[in-house]
Amino acid sequence: MIDIAGILIDNILYVLLITLGGALISLSVHFVPVGGAPAAMAQATGIGTGTVQLAAGAGLTGLVAAGAVMQVSNSLPLVLAAGAVGAMIMMSVTMIVGTWVYVYGVGCPPASAKVKYDPITKDRQDLYVSQGTEGHGLPTVSYVSGVLGGLFGGLGGSLVYHSLITAGMGPDVVMSNLIGLASVFAVGIFFVNAVIPSYNIGGTIEGFHDPKFKKWPKAVFSSLIATFMCALVAVLAIGGL
Amino acid sequence: MEPLISMGVLALMGAAATVAGASEDLESDVGSQSNPNSQVQLAPQMMYPHRIYNKAISGEPPSNALMCAVGGTTATVLMSAYNMSPVFAIAMGALIAALVHGTYSVTAFLGRPTSQKRFKQPVYLDILWSHTPVIMGYSYITTFCILVISYLMVSVLGHPFPLPLIAFIWGITIGAIGSSTGDVHYGAEREFQSVEFGAGLNAANSGNIVRKGESGLRNGFDNSWFCAKFGGPVTGIAFGMVVFLSGWVTTVFDPAKGIAIGWLSVIAGVILVLIMILWNRKIEVAARAAYGPYKEDEVAA
Repeated sequence: MIDIAGILIDNILYVLLITLGGALISLSVHFVPVGGAPAAMAQATGIGTGTVQLAAGAGLTGLVAAGAVMQVSNSLPLVLAAGAVGAMIMMSVTMIVGTWVYVYGVGCPPASAKVKYDPITKDRQDLYVSQGTEGHGLPTVSYVSGVLGGLFGGLGGSLVYHSLITAGMGPDVVMSNLIGLASVFAVGIFFVNAVIPSYNIGGTIEGFHDPKFKKWPKAVFSSLIATFMCALVAVLAIGGL
Repeated sequence: MEPLISMGVLALMGAAATVAGASEDLESDVGSQSNPNSQVQLAPQMMYPHRIYNKAISGEPPSNALMCAVGGTTATVLMSAYNMSPVFAIAMGALIAALVHGTYSVTAFLGRPTSQKRFKQPVYLDILWSHTPVIMGYSYITTFCILVISYLMVSVLGHPFPLPLIAFIWGITIGAIGSSTGDVHYGAEREFQSVEFGAGLNAANSGNIVRKGESGLRNGFDNSWFCAKFGGPVTGIAFGMVVFLSGWVTTVFDPAKGIAIGWLSVIAGVILVLIMILWNRKIEVAARAAYGPYKEDEVAA
């Protein structure tokens, strides 16, 4: 018989850390500049794909990096940093190659339609938005915002993974089973928290300068509740190994 | 492990990733998947029936993740339960993934144009027969390369995640990269070559995709031929860079050798990111200077 209350009480710190990781993932998605289908036709600023997909792609790349580092090091800050760097590299590479395609393949300069001046470079934006579009490409502010999205997403994903592994550690645990289960739960929790903010974003967001970004507390609050539930299930499943 | 061997394995993974990225993007061009397919789907409703393969099984990341997870699971089962050689197991895994993908492509293709009968969009069976094997071929190459990367990570570099899960994660990542980079070349340029070069798609032109090819009526092959010149290769470079750079920082500065070296790998990664931010800024400035503003400043005028 599994002692449910005992497992939960023993691992309450990890439940809280997983919940925090979920909230970080939820926050990170708001930073990622995605333009959905319109951006694929250079009709909206941002990357031409969906919110969940890109955030998940970046965060999971971070998770792979964090998993590799956790194999050789027990340091929580190093595992978190490795996850964050992996996700930031994925976002940066995707965005720089996206810029190549927008500039050299489509022939339009990066421009935001949500602000008149780029908050970072102070460049004028509205004059560079082509007719009938809502901006295109990745101006510097969106690029930096995307990198921050990778940072928080990678941090959150690796925090969830680290907490799950540490919660499941025990003398009788088969390591490969624990890693398999923890990584699958980490991927699942990542997806839950990548989907919740997409209701705020509604398909397109340019980054932290976009008015939609101000709605992040609602998504983070929802994510806290959803991740708490996921964390209970995950810790019970892993703690009962 | 010897750093030189690790670097060699990493280089092989980077090369496989580059091929996988290119074939992933061309698969989504010949079969028209992901966001640009919204225009292919919209065209008949705007009274522009066409001969372009229309599938879009799902978003690219889940579709590629499915392919790679199916392939990875098959390969793992063949290797562990039947003791088959990794090369054979990976090839079989990729083959089964391609068959599954082909099945989804056929059902998606038959489902989408038939739902547009009221807009007089025909279902071209010759397009189905000719394009589906090509789609399966591209998906085979993508899955094979991803499985090679995943196998090298698990068996040589000692990554702790199980092979099917790593294949799943790289499937999500390659799909996210493909739909973010190469597909823009297909959606913003190839589908709308009839409008002047150097602007985003004017919303008024939505659905008015180019339907005439270099010879005859345009189909998915023509799109894949065009995108193979730029969109496909840059997608390959993007995925190759992600796999290579994210592994490179921990191979050169191996965290197993001590926590200080681990932090050096983090610093190296951050420096790479900063370089790319500056690079993006340089391209932005150059593009603005080269293409100029689209309209006059009203205050100045």
